[in-house]
Amino acid sequence: MRIGKQMSGFALLGVILIVLTATAQSPLADSSKRSVLRGAPVEYLFPEQVTLPVGKPSPVTLHFRVAPGYHINSHRPKEESLIPTVFSVPGNAGVRLESAAYPDGTDFVLPLDPGTTLSVYTGEFKIQTRLIAPRGNQLVQASLRYQACDKSACYPPRTITVPIDVIGN
Amino acid sequence: MKRNTIVLSITLLLLAVLAWAGWANWEYRKQAAEKRAAMAAKAELIRSSSSDSPDAMLTSSPLIGKHAPNFTLEDLTGKKFSLASYKGKALMINFWATWCGPCKIETPWLVELRNQYASQGFEILGISAEDDDLAPGDKAGWARDKAAIAAFVRQEHMPYPVLINGDSISDTYGGLEAMPTSFFVDRSGKVVAVQLGITSKDDMAAKIKKALAE
Repeated sequence: MRIGKQMSGFALLGVILIVLTATAQSPLADSSKRSVLRGAPVEYLFPEQVTLPVGKPSPVTLHFRVAPGYHINSHRPKEESLIPTVFSVPGNAGVRLESAAYPDGTDFVLPLDPGTTLSVYTGEFKIQTRLIAPRGNQLVQASLRYQACDKSACYPPRTITVPIDVIGN
Repeated sequence: MKRNTIVLSITLLLLAVLAWAGWANWEYRKQAAEKRAAMAAKAELIRSSSSDSPDAMLTSSPLIGKHAPNFTLEDLTGKKFSLASYKGKALMINFWATWCGPCKIETPWLVELRNQYASQGFEILGISAEDDDLAPGDKAGWARDKAAIAAFVRQEHMPYPVLINGDSISDTYGGLEAMPTSFFVDRSGKVVAVQLGITSKDDMAAKIKKALAE
């Protein structure tokens, strides 16, 4: 009986070990699917899931990261020809975007053009949104449109998907 | 009872150690994956960044040594321009976009270089490639693009042909993943140099001379 109990304890230990091993490898597997590995300069970080009161505008802070060596135009670039960073939620998403507050851009000067100051985001930045959720679970495929550059070249405007699991209750 | 307690304690301790090891391993792998991701993005971003020479930004293109792919594009007035009609001239095919800051920086250099070398048989073809995923039927979007290109041309006083809809020939020129991208073509129509991103006026002049050489 005692031996049986000890055996079941070891079996439990084995199961936990397997789970821990699998968990330990998951970040690598996940990151290989991330857009940054494919060269996309902007990555959505989190939250993946939010729980909001139904029908009430609620704050949700979205976190993004610009890859090292890149910068993207802020929401209010200093020149009209530059493409601003804009977050949007599709009209048919169920969840509505009441407002989005963007951070101020950081001043950035290209070495080859010291007379021009750009307003950009680098590293991690946050967009403060207010979302209105219906009852139930909605997987919202929101979007972030941006245009990235480095010190010598610019990359075409791109839109990344911002997936958020919104639970309204 | 006492033995059970000892076994239970050892099991719990083992579990705690394993949990800690698993968490530490997870953190380590996460950080390593993030580092790799950042490195991968950077590697794609700045080509040949290991070199400090002006040629560091020069991409090796499969087009070098081959004939520049022919195209026919229109300028803002609807006039058609064909690459084939420039046979016998050295050319710089300069892809640019209105949203591209470095393109704006290098344009005055292009104007000066074009004026300097035109008498030797050199010409520039500026080609706007906005790559903004406009649908063919998006008349307002195309009109907005055209207005932005026209404003850029006026502002920069570009004396050479500026063609539009460069995205339609992007694939034949290697995909044009960044702006500006320039192809230097010799008098026989062969690509002798490619430049991704901005370098310097002197570097461009050297490539133009290479294109002018027989």
